Amino acid sequence: MPPVAENYSLGFQVELNKIDSELKKLWAQGEGAMTRASLVNLAVYSEAPGSLEKNTQLIAKIAENHACRAIVIGADCKTKENRVEAWISAHCHISRTGSKQICSEQISFLLEGPCTNLLPSIVFSHLDSDLPFYLWWQSEFREPMDRQFWAWVDRVIYDSQTWKDFRAQMRLVESAQKEAKQRIVLCDLNWTRLDRVRFALAQFFDHPASHHRFAKIKKARIDFAPGFRSTAVLFAGWLAAQLNWRIEKRNGGGVLQFINLNGHKIDIELRERPGEPIGEIVLNSREVEFVVSRAKCGDLLEVSRGEPGEKRLPQLMPAGSNDPVSLMSEELMRGGPHHVYLHAVNCVRDLL
Amino acid sequence: MNRAAEQPEPNPLREGLSARAVPQPCTIVIFGATGDLTQRKLIPALYNLAADGDLPPAVAIVGFARREKSDDEFRTELEEATRKFSRQAVRDEIWKTFAQSIFYHQSEFEDEAGYKTLAKRLDEIDEECGTRGNRLFYFAAAPDQFEPILKHLKAAGLNETCKGSWARVIVEKPFGTDLASARELNRIVRHSFSEEQTYRIDHFLGKETAQNILVLRFANAIFAPLWNTHYIDHVQITAAETLGVETRGGFYEGAGALRDMVQNHLLQLLCLIAMEPPIDLSADSIRDEKVKVVRSLRRFAQSEIAANVVRGQYAQGAIDGKLVAGYRKEPKVKSDSQTETFVALRLYIDDWRWADVPIYMRVGKRLPKSATEISIHFKKAPAVLFNKNLSDQNVLVIRIQPDEGISLRIHAKVPGTSFRVEPVKMDFHYGTSFGKASPEAYERLLLDAMSGDATLFARRDEVEEAWAFIDVIESAWSAKKDAPGLFPYPAGSWGPDEADDLLARDGRAWRRL
Repeated sequence: MPPVAENYSLGFQVELNKIDSELKKLWAQGEGAMTRASLVNLAVYSEAPGSLEKNTQLIAKIAENHACRAIVIGADCKTKENRVEAWISAHCHISRTGSKQICSEQISFLLEGPCTNLLPSIVFSHLDSDLPFYLWWQSEFREPMDRQFWAWVDRVIYDSQTWKDFRAQMRLVESAQKEAKQRIVLCDLNWTRLDRVRFALAQFFDHPASHHRFAKIKKARIDFAPGFRSTAVLFAGWLAAQLNWRIEKRNGGGVLQFINLNGHKIDIELRERPGEPIGEIVLNSREVEFVVSRAKCGDLLEVSRGEPGEKRLPQLMPAGSNDPVSLMSEELMRGGPHHVYLHAVNCVRDLL
Repeated sequence: MNRAAEQPEPNPLREGLSARAVPQPCTIVIFGATGDLTQRKLIPALYNLAADGDLPPAVAIVGFARREKSDDEFRTELEEATRKFSRQAVRDEIWKTFAQSIFYHQSEFEDEAGYKTLAKRLDEIDEECGTRGNRLFYFAAAPDQFEPILKHLKAAGLNETCKGSWARVIVEKPFGTDLASARELNRIVRHSFSEEQTYRIDHFLGKETAQNILVLRFANAIFAPLWNTHYIDHVQITAAETLGVETRGGFYEGAGALRDMVQNHLLQLLCLIAMEPPIDLSADSIRDEKVKVVRSLRRFAQSEIAANVVRGQYAQGAIDGKLVAGYRKEPKVKSDSQTETFVALRLYIDDWRWADVPIYMRVGKRLPKSATEISIHFKKAPAVLFNKNLSDQNVLVIRIQPDEGISLRIHAKVPGTSFRVEPVKMDFHYGTSFGKASPEAYERLLLDAMSGDATLFARRDEVEEAWAFIDVIESAWSAKKDAPGLFPYPAGSWGPDEADDLLARDGRAWRRL
């Protein structure tokens, strides 16, 4: 196998103009049953100090389930001196059948100073041809958005939970999407965070006989952890968009008020509680209560429905995890456009 | 796949969450609940679906069997089996909630009263668990029990449901042992359940790679123009296993490789390879095209069987360096058994696309390795330029199991100053490219049945047409006069020499696996 003993090291430092030839050498040195695999180009961009090492760890774990050509970029735009450094490495794991090593390659760049403007050319020259290009953007978006660069992106992945100004950031992302003729799929990890709870709530209403309950929803409560208010608001936006509610007003006490198509009011209480990003969701449709909450064991959701005082048969479902590897793995498993996300955002854009 | 599945009103909260038909709440009643299939496959599959969050919110399981036992005893047995056979480790907290919806119903299959009490119990379960009157009856019992079960289900009114609910029946193979018995079985089933309610399970169709055949063919434009008699020289389908009959000697004596594997699994794979594009992805559109393939199979005259079909039986030999007994020494097998453990066939599909393209199939036990693969052998390039001395063809291989994947053999220039050309292989492995393990075939198929999607289940006419084709061969083999021979082969070999001759006569050879 390639001489990459530590999974989390940046690997070998290489000259910029020799990356391709050094990668070839890396594979040529491989021993035994080893396969290079790649389904996607995954570029990760961060301006946080120490991000290269941290992202290398994440990519090593993500690549176990999602073979990719990873291009990890750490940028420091504040320094005055230009500096570009590059490393190559491989993340290998044993295949499910246990017969061979499956390896994904990583190219890492440290960009300092004005040379951060070189980002597009650095990414362009190291993409694995013909494979989709996913860009995981871990920093704030800034103008100007390079038109040619964004035109190459198939999916841009970000976490709006970390944004300080949702509207401004979303405006930039949407303008990039517009420049790319709507081709870019917007993938918000804050939305991915809601996948499992949305799934858990949705399954209560799979039977057509339960659909009449939508019109009878009077109130809901969403418990969220400190720092995850935007996640809860996004969830409320999803309910509103899918059930044709419109926002009526936002009370100071953390209650959002919506109006359904029949003109009935629905109150959604947002309650901050320590714990998981979304701790519990309770939806009341007249006398029936639908509950999705974290089970005691932590990584499962407990879902139940029933009238007050009635015996309930709770079900357990996977809850997913809030760590970046799980969120990214979940996101990479999904395909297709995220128009439901955009509808949800549009319903509560001013509240985010 | 079935867009026409019973989903009259879409759930708006499901939008964008799931690309498949949504399974509905239901009670699954398993007949033969104490048997091997239930313990090894069905319950582990249902548990895995529960653990992955794929089961509908309300699912109850009722085991129906003869032996006396309580719900708790039944649950304990199933827990042990699931811990042993599940593809993922059993988690106590998930098992606990899953098991609370498992019940046991003791009754003889022939006892009418047992079905009346079952009906009452199912109504109670609907009330308690919210299963909404939907019932999925799974026949994991021996085929000779189907008739009394179906008769009593009907008598108890369990084949019908009130408006908005459904009753479906899953029938395990074998669907008969010949055309007459298959028709009889279908008649018996149809007496109680309509064709739309009937799901004949063939677990080969639940395998990821089998489903991927349709994607490979109809989502990739490069193959469409080549997929015909003009460009394809021949097709090979191999289903090899190293195992012998193990504990199934009694059953196998009455079945043999032709009935056990070719009539169902291999012909189903052939259908996926050879069918025309369906007009849409609905169950019946796909099955309409599949049945046309079986109907187009050239029927052999009895006198043609020996030249086109070879049967064999394993003798003593070695597998993985260990000596193994011959078939006739296996438990519950007659010492002069004439049952075939190996079959090789040369088939033709007499339609516009496949005219004169031979399809070679072989299936056998105690072969050197376990592998199920389909290979498409393309015609040779013109014998000019680089090809004057080339004997290899381009070959597209679809590996069904193990190591699911696809490979393509092409020719490439060997580096150097001369123009030496050698075959190279472009290889796609599911396990390499996708880290996530595929669900077990039974998981997929159970979920489909709960969703009302019959795409991956065999339809009555498919089954009967397949038997009509097989019966001619069986009839020739059982003829008193001039019956084709049964050729022995040593365990651990690739079958009798006569199987090689079948291709050698056409100037071809079996692909080396």
